[in-house]
Amino acid sequence: MAAISPQATFEGDIFSAPLVHTDSNLLTCMEPDYKPFIPANSLRRMTRLLKMGLTTALQSIRDSGVEAIGPIVTGTGKGSLQDTEKFIREIEQYKETALNPTPFIQSTYNSVNGLIALQVKGTAYNNTFVHRGFSFENALLDSMMLLAEGAPNTLTGALEEMTAEHFYIKSRIGFWKSAPTDSRRLYDQLSPGSIGGEGATFFVLTGTPTPDSKAAVTGFKMLYKPTAAKVAAGLTEFKDGIDLVLTGRNGDSRYEHFYQQADALFPGVPQLSFKHLCGEHDTAGAFGMWLAAQILHTQRVPAQWFPMVKELPAVVNRVLLYNHFYGEQHTAIVLERV
Amino acid sequence: MAERVFITGMGMITAIGDNVAENLDQLRQQRSGLGYTSYIDTIYKEVLPVAEVKHPNDALSALAGITPREGYTRTTLLGLTAMREALQQAGITDVQTAPTGFINASTVGGMCDTEKVYFDIVDPAKSGTFLQYIDTLDCADCTQRIADTVGFSEHIATISTACSSSANALMFGARMIKQGFLPRMVCGGTEALTRFTLNGFNSLKNVDKQFCRPFDQQRTGLNLGEGAAYLVLESESFARANNSRILAEFTGYCNANEAFHPTSPSPDGDGAYEAMKAALAMSGRTLEEVDYINVHGTATLNNDVSEGKALERLFGNNVPLFSSTKPFTGHTLAAAGAIEAIYAVLAIQQGLIFPNLNFKEKMEELNIAPVTELMEGVSVNNVISNSFGFGGNNASLVISKYEG
Repeated sequence: MAAISPQATFEGDIFSAPLVHTDSNLLTCMEPDYKPFIPANSLRRMTRLLKMGLTTALQSIRDSGVEAIGPIVTGTGKGSLQDTEKFIREIEQYKETALNPTPFIQSTYNSVNGLIALQVKGTAYNNTFVHRGFSFENALLDSMMLLAEGAPNTLTGALEEMTAEHFYIKSRIGFWKSAPTDSRRLYDQLSPGSIGGEGATFFVLTGTPTPDSKAAVTGFKMLYKPTAAKVAAGLTEFKDGIDLVLTGRNGDSRYEHFYQQADALFPGVPQLSFKHLCGEHDTAGAFGMWLAAQILHTQRVPAQWFPMVKELPAVVNRVLLYNHFYGEQHTAIVLERV
Repeated sequence: MAERVFITGMGMITAIGDNVAENLDQLRQQRSGLGYTSYIDTIYKEVLPVAEVKHPNDALSALAGITPREGYTRTTLLGLTAMREALQQAGITDVQTAPTGFINASTVGGMCDTEKVYFDIVDPAKSGTFLQYIDTLDCADCTQRIADTVGFSEHIATISTACSSSANALMFGARMIKQGFLPRMVCGGTEALTRFTLNGFNSLKNVDKQFCRPFDQQRTGLNLGEGAAYLVLESESFARANNSRILAEFTGYCNANEAFHPTSPSPDGDGAYEAMKAALAMSGRTLEEVDYINVHGTATLNNDVSEGKALERLFGNNVPLFSSTKPFTGHTLAAAGAIEAIYAVLAIQQGLIFPNLNFKEKMEELNIAPVTELMEGVSVNNVISNSFGFGGNNASLVISKYEG
């Protein structure tokens, strides 16, 4: 697996990397040097999301030790915003004439999937889910179905970028906090809205464990616009043996009650939240899953990332990841140590 | 053993009709839906033909069964219209009576409406009701509005794989049924014409200024279209217990990537060949048992060579009857796979092979030519329906006559 995120998750040691924070309500990705991954001539034409997506995908393949990649499945809520904005703007500016097709091609939601397939000669199944807070999770469900159908492995990931323009647009409908907020204090400052973020996260999934396996997904649920009772019933199904709850808490007072309900269901179980690391975005759940798998694999928590937590869990065998996107798409994933 | 998957309801709206019956009638009368746009603000208004649904948004709201309101984009209204018919045809008055999933597809979501107000949205000096369209841009917006209006609360998803999107939605739904997640799924796609996509394809120099001519030697590109279509899929056990009227069986499918080029298919049609071959193998049908192929047939220079070569490679000298229905509906992008899947069911039910309009001259690269006249009284038992898209995405579906 691999992640490009606002934290130093892609290169180096996550246990010594300092916590990156912001007080501008937007966490942007720490981008690596793409040259080892993408030829210079292609690099020039590609916008951020394409570079981040392709590079993370390639790195996760390297990390997995898997030789031949089977199906490729991704989730992205917004696709390449930069290309979409560019093409809209050029249509206006050049009055619909003499347009460069590149931003249009790259604005299609499956363009990163296509690029990855080209790069790794991946001629198997290829799919892209584009449903807000269910984008990555549907990609995960699809991947688990593919493994059950006999696929040897899947490359499964999520990608999201935030642009200045889109950040402004979303501010107009209450996505972000109105006052500048220190991301380190995200969970203490309940108010409407959250802080924005972005990221690219990829996993290689297999149906049976390999020497390189980091964690196993053993429980999975998606709930669309559920009542509080439905969330409670859903999470209760996964209650047994959970020794860490990882939540997508984001400081948004409007939807905090769902997370508080989860707190009540797991009394005494240590809890961490991850949105002060990656910011809120459609596919933040993928970052949560990456973090859960890291913790299960290394049996360590990057302590510097969680200064607000007094006691970090000593042993972690089973993690419940519970996340929702602005109260509408709720997802619960159970991950176990392998 | 995995459940068989049956088609038990269909609903659609395209440039040739507001429902399945009107579409069938126009196909029979060989009447194209191509013309010029009444609703898009573009300099190509009278230059580039499109296959537009012949109603303004207010009239679409009525068809969709809702009062006109802010935030309901044309994409949503088209989808809702098709959805209502699909549910009605399947005898579903309330989707809550049995666990029912909804897999939708779209390529540019609510762009049709957001592109009109985009520069107001990004201008801090402006405010107004247009702000209600901010969140309609993404592809999940139309899915959720359709889901909320008709009451889907089980699994929902939105797929965007360019022009193969709704074929992949059908596939995903069928797989969820086979794996026992849900007994009933409604799958398809919705797509409204936009200035964005029209300029996008035009910038790629593959839009024809004349009405498109799939598989013709003189073809010079596609015409865009809009529309929506949904199919109700049910597991065999559910359909039997529910006493559902079974319209056809969804026997095979394949999604394969070509890994050749971001926007062009390989010259020999490797992806198309693989997709058709694997879908057919899954259906358990032989090459000889395929009676009709509704080809992707966009009429672009590349697609038709590539798809034609794939047909010749797979079927040798016995390529089945085939045609592209794009001259009727235009290329409806994400909705195309579901629209054409319904045409496949109609071909089976009615014993029809639809003509490939505007075809005159065989392509020099191919030995084969499409059907050009409407054929009636044909025994159609198995149809392959192809949808291929940007990013190397190839999807083939096999739809078969229901036989007990």
